[in-house]
Amino acid sequence: MEKSEKRSVLHMLDPMPHVSPFDINMAVDAGFDLIFPYDNVQPEQVNGLVQDAIFSRGPAGVKRTGIFIGGRDIGIALNMLETAKNAMVPPFVISVLADPSGAFTTAAALVACVEKQLKVRHGDELKGAQAVVFGGTGPVGIATGVIASLAGANVTIVDPFNIDVALDKAREYNSRCGSKLVGTYASSDADKARLVAQADIVFCTAKAGVQVLNASVLSDAVQLKVAGDVNAVPPLGIEGIKRMHNGEPMIHTVNSTSAVGIGALAVGDIKYKLQNALLASLLTTETPLYLDFRAAFDQARNLV
Amino acid sequence: MEKPYILHMFTPEKNLSPFDVNMALDAGWTSAVPYLHVEPGEVQGLVQDAIFSRSPAGVKRTGIFIGGRDARMAVDMVRGARKSMVPPFEVSVFADPSGAFTTAAAMVAVVERELETRFHMDLTGKKVLCLGGTGPVGQIAATLAAKAGAMVKIIGRQLEKAQAISTLCDTEFGDGTTQIEGDADANKSTLILDTDIVFATAAAGIQVLSAELVAAAPQLKVAADVNAVPPSGIAGLDAHHRGHPIEGSQSGAVGVGALAIGNIKYKTQSALLKRMRESDSPVYLSFDDAFEMAREFASKL
Repeated sequence: MEKSEKRSVLHMLDPMPHVSPFDINMAVDAGFDLIFPYDNVQPEQVNGLVQDAIFSRGPAGVKRTGIFIGGRDIGIALNMLETAKNAMVPPFVISVLADPSGAFTTAAALVACVEKQLKVRHGDELKGAQAVVFGGTGPVGIATGVIASLAGANVTIVDPFNIDVALDKAREYNSRCGSKLVGTYASSDADKARLVAQADIVFCTAKAGVQVLNASVLSDAVQLKVAGDVNAVPPLGIEGIKRMHNGEPMIHTVNSTSAVGIGALAVGDIKYKLQNALLASLLTTETPLYLDFRAAFDQARNLV
Repeated sequence: MEKPYILHMFTPEKNLSPFDVNMALDAGWTSAVPYLHVEPGEVQGLVQDAIFSRSPAGVKRTGIFIGGRDARMAVDMVRGARKSMVPPFEVSVFADPSGAFTTAAAMVAVVERELETRFHMDLTGKKVLCLGGTGPVGQIAATLAAKAGAMVKIIGRQLEKAQAISTLCDTEFGDGTTQIEGDADANKSTLILDTDIVFATAAAGIQVLSAELVAAAPQLKVAADVNAVPPSGIAGLDAHHRGHPIEGSQSGAVGVGALAIGNIKYKTQSALLKRMRESDSPVYLSFDDAFEMAREFASKL
């Protein structure tokens, strides 16, 4: 590093009480010299904080400055990203990455891994595929659904308990992101089996340590091609898919014998590389970047 | 490039101690990141978030520091952090709320050293008064002295509080091996008659042992004061004292002042912060480890 080069600074804005230590480690490892957490940030504070951050370092300094937006709610994070972008005053502009709960990078990695197996194993693509997202109303599930939908899949997001939650989330994110999500719920194995029977793709983004699809439900799959699970804590989300699986045949889909599975560590490996690359790109870019799930998916496709 | 050293610094309070942040950076941690208002129930989530985003090599370069003002909460948080580890994803943890663990460890170690060099004795069976002892430094000093075999009384203005704190020390810090008692300030003139050692751990600017009481202590051997702000907590004792005779003592007692204690405290805290970075396997550092380290430094005095 040249002596004259300013140190790199990442301002980490979070609506929650604590910035995630996971993201802080990632940011340091991606090359940021200094990390500053901002906790309990209200959306209306973003404009002020961003403008405070852009004016003190000069044009060369702003290139060494970035903003990260965390939290747990992807709607709030997308709003904060938009506010941050609008707060810039050229030439005082800095790059911003939003990745609340790691949902954007996890979802992007999951969909990219599934897309790759769809192509490699089945010569198929996301466009026109029937996709079901179990655990589809949480942050990772919504982002997964939106990414797959924007790539042309017909996506149903599934809440484990409540139809209204699923319908609300689908409506909200369709209007916000231009996706075409359908919302439904599945509380029983019969409900799940009905959804699995019509699916080319199954995404499992439910809570850690919960098995969502057992062997019996999986036997109802008749056209399943690829299933991916992000749960790394046993019991895993989809019976028969191990954490390291990355295109291994699924043993319980007796009526979809060519179906393959992707496990949490295969997804996690891409997610990790993806988040690192996105953070690093904040420092290397010549023009400011505003990165959300869309940029994450583009980059994840390159990585797989 | 080697991975940077990242120290996640948790405190239940609204601010970290700048003292601890300086210490951490000077001990070689590249990044010291604050987490404020941390509740005990949040520790597991934060710890598990911290351990999973770095490779095994990176995990070795990641640590957690627990601050705050409350010794019991810090001990609980270390316990909670330790239980949250998922080997091989496991990082070192060091608690030093209000600097109390390293300060108390340094005080007891230096007193023990003076006892040995001047009187050829150890702490076994010695009668210790921990004056102004209901705060975190007093609690831990009392515990460490009691674990080393001394008969310790924690003295506070209110009898009930002093007794409650002594019970807390026995149950939470003493591992069931200590029998610390609580007594009231008002009884000092009686208690001082058979006291060997005095720890003054009251708030700065409060004199807890008067010249009269120093003169009336027939078997006082060593008195230590952590207060660096005049007036001294013990009459006749200066912040610079390190084994100097206490003016007015009829029993030839020597004094240990805040700067002598601070010197060992500083070295101890720095060494423990370094040990977290350098240890090959994760370490969980609390007041017992601080005492062991402080004894090593005190033995070189």
